[in-house]
Amino acid sequence: MKKKLLLPVVLSLIISAQAIAAQGNKENGKIIYDKKCWWCHGEKGAGDGPAAKFLNPPPRDFTAGWYKFKTTPFDEITPADEDIFRMISGGMNHISLWKGMSGTSMPNWDDVLKEQDRWDLVAYIKSLSGLEQPQKPPISYSGQIKSSKESIEKGREIFKKMCVECHGEEGKGDGTKKLKDDLGFRTWPRNLTKPWTFKVNNDPKEIYTRISNGIPGTQMPSFADPSSKKTLSEEERWHVANYVASIADDIKRPKDDTVLKVIRLEGDLPSKIDDPKWAEAQPTSFYFIPQIIAKERFFTPTMDSITARAFYNDKEIAILLEWDDRTKSIPGDEKAKELAEGDVLEDSVAVQFPVIIPEEMEKPYFGMGDSAKPVNIWQWKSGTTSAPETMKLMNANGFQKIEQRDAAKAGLKAIGVYNNGTWRVVMKRPLATEEKDKDVQFAEGKYTPIAFAAWDGSNGESGSKHVMTTWYWLLLKPATPKSTYIIPIIVALLVFGGELLLVRKSKK
Amino acid sequence: MKIPRLLLFVILVALSYFIFKAPGIFLKQPIPSSLIVMYMFFAVVTILLWMTSTEEGMQGLIGPIKRMIEDPGKKTLRNIIFVIVPIVAAGITYMQLRPTYEAPVELRSIHPAPPSTIKVFGKTFNLMTLENPYRKLEKEDPQKFAQLVKEGGEVYFKNCFYCHGDKLDGRGHYAHGFNPLPANFTDIGTIAQLQESFLFWRISTGGPGLPKEGAPWISAMPVWENFITEDEVWKVILFLYNYTGYVPRSWAK
Repeated sequence: MKKKLLLPVVLSLIISAQAIAAQGNKENGKIIYDKKCWWCHGEKGAGDGPAAKFLNPPPRDFTAGWYKFKTTPFDEITPADEDIFRMISGGMNHISLWKGMSGTSMPNWDDVLKEQDRWDLVAYIKSLSGLEQPQKPPISYSGQIKSSKESIEKGREIFKKMCVECHGEEGKGDGTKKLKDDLGFRTWPRNLTKPWTFKVNNDPKEIYTRISNGIPGTQMPSFADPSSKKTLSEEERWHVANYVASIADDIKRPKDDTVLKVIRLEGDLPSKIDDPKWAEAQPTSFYFIPQIIAKERFFTPTMDSITARAFYNDKEIAILLEWDDRTKSIPGDEKAKELAEGDVLEDSVAVQFPVIIPEEMEKPYFGMGDSAKPVNIWQWKSGTTSAPETMKLMNANGFQKIEQRDAAKAGLKAIGVYNNGTWRVVMKRPLATEEKDKDVQFAEGKYTPIAFAAWDGSNGESGSKHVMTTWYWLLLKPATPKSTYIIPIIVALLVFGGELLLVRKSKK
Repeated sequence: MKIPRLLLFVILVALSYFIFKAPGIFLKQPIPSSLIVMYMFFAVVTILLWMTSTEEGMQGLIGPIKRMIEDPGKKTLRNIIFVIVPIVAAGITYMQLRPTYEAPVELRSIHPAPPSTIKVFGKTFNLMTLENPYRKLEKEDPQKFAQLVKEGGEVYFKNCFYCHGDKLDGRGHYAHGFNPLPANFTDIGTIAQLQESFLFWRISTGGPGLPKEGAPWISAMPVWENFITEDEVWKVILFLYNYTGYVPRSWAK
């Protein structure tokens, strides 16, 4: 009897001790908030600081009192203190380069604010909407189903029925619905194949939490809510979580290697986009950033990276560009109009090269060249319902001095195909052209600067409003000389010969 | 316990290799591999010289090798080693010969020497004598100064923080897309080393205003003269120093 009583007493003691530890000092929280946080979240916490209108997604409005990434269940609006603490501290998504909340400007504060300061902020932020302690405990992971082939397959079936409307057939967020959050801001369903862009991460437990709790304030519902038409059993939710974790496509995640290696082929280059030969090319991915350098600056991108593959033979070079874009923007298309922000403009992609490949460091300015050093820009556009896709060739000495040239005359060709949230465009050009002083002349083994840009026509992107990269490198990879393989064999033989001599000498 | 000389030799060589590799592993500032090869050559020669300086040391080093070759009981061991050694030698040779295709290293001067005068905002400024017109208010009118710092902060959070970061640490949410990375103002090596007139120059003329040694072709710093006023430039400079707690350098008086 005594023993039975003891356990709850001890437990409640532990819990209240934790509560005291977590209890922050909101006065100190306010002091920190007024120095560090208000710039985005606003003086009164309404998400309306000076930076707010340049951010997408917008900074959280603390006066509203709802939080997207919480562990308390769907029918408990109040997040756990730990949830807010975790959002402030950062590091939720360990795969992301960004240590704060990925896809947002919220940084990790654990490097400049002490732990107690962060708890104090939690207390202050909660006071802005009068949040108390949650009545319900965080959801439990005790029923977790370990990922397996069967579970993933079951999850895929459920996903196909329940999730594709918003997340798209292949989970790239290319659904058929235009979504807005409760405050009227446009929201985009997560591209589930890019877990490094997740706000939290793609541990099945985290995905399970989002599926079960929904994302409050957005159109991501709770699939645990029994009153919803979309209820899934606990088991089903784990299957979906395992499936979603399985569709990550790490090829699309930019790595440290920034050299696009162009692989040599004997014979013809693939001219079709779905040619299986492309699988032999070496993919390299690059981060897109919005054009925030020259007028008109652009702050609300929808596309975050591009993956390139390339081949060459003795005549031509072919580059396959592949980037996720949630919307296929064809002006005149009714379906595109439903999803677009404003008018539907053409989707587009461009690559940029210096006209003269620099022998030393000095390159043209990465933003469309400069007066002394021109660049070639190859720009493909998706076309409209009444006009076909186009390929343009431009020479630019800065964005104010652009010369339109004849792409066909330079032998420049392109085709593009959109499928399930991804554009694939193949660009082709002869290695050498007639106008040697106007076109980049590709040569084996030469490091050639390359930059990329893309426009999402359903996101109001045209002209200077687009996403882009800085200069990276393209290299026509030479065949490895035979000596690379022969010399090591000779070395091995010499060493072995030396060994034999040693043995013979010792036997004398 | 006495460590066998041959084992000691192996340990010392491995230790030197580790020391040369350590900056790359722990600080992400690797020593170029060609330099490591050279360092290792000298390390091995030094260790050999030291270990073979006495007859006893020489014997300690060569003895085990000699015994392994001569002792018929160790024939299997000898055969194994005699196969492994040529393979390792071939492997090392291949790694040295194998072509690698890493991005060329681009060196640039982070704080290039400023010109003596610049023309921005329709005026000519002499950078040798230029001072922040608001700096004196720090002592004369602290309240007004605090207001100017706050206004500078607003300029920063409307224009700069995407790259230079919420925490002024050069790690804004778009910083990952740039090379060179945006300047980290909290680092002791940036604004703490500079005069306000230098910042005025860097901000108002941006990347394209850099001299050649600063690699203007890759700097993503906008030409702020086109976006904000002269007044705002001075205010944002006040904010940068105030937030980081650094004091601008000044001409020695």
